[in-house]
Amino acid sequence: MRHYSLGVWIVVAIAVLSSVGVAVRGGHKAEGLTMWTFARPHAAMYRPIVDAWNENHDPGVDLQLLSLAAVEHRMLAGFYAGVETADLIEVERSIAGRAFTGPLEAVGFTDLTDRMREEGLIDRINPPSFGPWTSRGHIFGIPHDVHPVLLGYRTDLIEAAGIDVTLIETWDDFKRVMRPLIVDADGDGDVDRYPLAYWPTDLDKDELLILQAGGALFDADGRATIDTATNAAILAELVSWCVGPDRIACEAPDFTQSGNDLKRQGYAACYFFPDWMCDVWNKELPELSGKLRLMPLPAWEPGGLRTSVWGGTMLAIPKTAKDFDACWEFAKHLYLSDELARTLYRVGDIITPITEHWDDPVFDEPDPYFGGQAKGRLYIQMAPHIPARSSSPYNRRAIERVSDAGMRLLEYAKSGEVYDPGALQPKALELLHDAQAEVERQMARTAVFREGDSSKTSQDNPGGDG
Amino acid sequence: MRERPGPAPYILLAPFLLIFAVFIVYPLIRSLGLATERSFGPGTSDFVGIKNFRLLLIDPLFWKAARNTLVFTLGSVFIQLPLALLLALALNRPTLRGRSFYRLIFFSPQLVGLVFSGMIASLMFEKRTGLINKTLHGIFGFSLDYPWLQVHIMPMLIITALWMYVGFNMVYFLAALQNVDRSLTEAAMIDGASKAQRFFHVTLPAIRPVGAFVVLLSIIGSVQLFELPFIIFSQTPYGGAGPDNGALTLVMYLYREAFETGDLGYASALGWIIAVFLFLAGLGQLVITRGEKA
Repeated sequence: MRHYSLGVWIVVAIAVLSSVGVAVRGGHKAEGLTMWTFARPHAAMYRPIVDAWNENHDPGVDLQLLSLAAVEHRMLAGFYAGVETADLIEVERSIAGRAFTGPLEAVGFTDLTDRMREEGLIDRINPPSFGPWTSRGHIFGIPHDVHPVLLGYRTDLIEAAGIDVTLIETWDDFKRVMRPLIVDADGDGDVDRYPLAYWPTDLDKDELLILQAGGALFDADGRATIDTATNAAILAELVSWCVGPDRIACEAPDFTQSGNDLKRQGYAACYFFPDWMCDVWNKELPELSGKLRLMPLPAWEPGGLRTSVWGGTMLAIPKTAKDFDACWEFAKHLYLSDELARTLYRVGDIITPITEHWDDPVFDEPDPYFGGQAKGRLYIQMAPHIPARSSSPYNRRAIERVSDAGMRLLEYAKSGEVYDPGALQPKALELLHDAQAEVERQMARTAVFREGDSSKTSQDNPGGDG
Repeated sequence: MRERPGPAPYILLAPFLLIFAVFIVYPLIRSLGLATERSFGPGTSDFVGIKNFRLLLIDPLFWKAARNTLVFTLGSVFIQLPLALLLALALNRPTLRGRSFYRLIFFSPQLVGLVFSGMIASLMFEKRTGLINKTLHGIFGFSLDYPWLQVHIMPMLIITALWMYVGFNMVYFLAALQNVDRSLTEAAMIDGASKAQRFFHVTLPAIRPVGAFVVLLSIIGSVQLFELPFIIFSQTPYGGAGPDNGALTLVMYLYREAFETGDLGYASALGWIIAVFLFLAGLGQLVITRGEKA
């Protein structure tokens, strides 16, 4: 027999042993149910409820905190390649649409529509909150929140300028009443304060303002409706806020250190505040405690909508879940409980979508960060009126293109010194037409909804997915 | 007579070959298959032949990504590499004091890493709070609101890449310069050649193989550009590709189509176009260096 060196035998031994080890160990299978969430505050809020559930249920629920990117990639890997996912997944709106591509039978989440109807859940949940989780009339998750938007304003700056915010009903009122805030305090030629934090590059704000104004990027059947006269008028108006002698808006981004510095300095006096943003400011800008108040958004016309919507999360059960009934019972226990409704508000400033909990006194508690204002009640007053949203997988792409159109329109306005919204409108329509063409090209390529797809129309949809 | 090696080499190569086959060869073949499919969400697709390639050629975003990638590649090859060579020439002078210190200084951005450098660049070029605008405002009264990250995206990326990679490429050139036969330079000097003549007729031909290798590396790295713009713009409200897709590169477009849109077929077709381009660039380098040897 041929003689091999010791090194060869060591390599062979390691290869054989590790192969046997991997084969024997196999994949790790959790005994109970697993649930993924992407938000640390959510995990902290759910932990006591999960622990209490696990005391009476065997096997219980293993709550796992993952980053949003990890949830997205592992969830989609499960849907595309069949690898194991959790039995319950909290899905944020920005990634939910990805799961709704293709024919209904290819959606990786369990269709909950019939269960919800049979058990009366649809009537217990704020109808517009179903929108982002509903595709072609089918509901694929329990809504976690409502996320109505209010306008937060710096009382110290507003009072110093002698402004009475009760005079504001519409955005036109806002522009007129807030004008004294625009100042160049140090006389260096640069304006140091504007009334509003908004810029066309901020996609979330673009979307919430378009929705508030009655615009839409997709119709009820999922077709792109970007280049409408309504959207063009909205875009022209938004751009007119950012340029020219009547400029009222500036860029003070959220979630960044530099943006927070600008907020501390009072570069903008008013900010868009979905309910969850209260918690963000509380944690990131504690030094502004007591200097902020909330009011309904100015409407686009007298008597118009005074709120909008920003963000959202659902709890979904993948089709691969081990025990659907156990998942469903736990999901209802977690999301529908009055305990969670109170915790959501106390810990995260989030309003529950379960309407029967809206009378809870927790929402009347004064919040010292907002000068003792009972902001919960104000958010609840707005909750039923939030605009319907699309669950289209192309929603994000569409709003990106609208934002690009906004930036190009801004350059057009600057270079041509065209500041009047009416005069900007034809160019806005032209730019939105390009945006529409690009989104349609992408939709045609991937055919989100294949011909012959056995789907209902969105008329059956309680929240409206278009 | 040579002794046959027996199965030992194959046993030793087997783990690598297995991993190579599973993680490189199979995905390559599979992606070629995917490139001929049209996706309909998870698990559903149709065969469309070369349609994805045809659609790519008429896709304005593909051409925008290609243009951005080309601009960055040209910036890398024609700005970054000459600068790296100049630095290497300066630091190769035996009379220069503190050479090791300067080498460390110029190489140090590599030690910090791309993510950190990208984040710093993002902060430096911010409106109002960024170091660049604040400095220019303080000295020249320049507008604090000047939007570098919106209107000068590619120059800003090239500048950041210079900061990152000039020192890195300098090390290659430095190593090549230190291997240039000093007797040739001295002979040229004795023959009365000027500094420029010595550089162009002695030094440059001697370091050309390394230069060709660095150019190839630079082209490959530039065509694969993804992390830098992704990091810089993920800190901003408009996300990875920047405003109006000003920072969209070919690989970023591939990532977006595959992992954000879920269009695996289209992304695979794009991946193959990039792969073919890089293969041709490598082949070109091989032909050039072989030609020189012959």
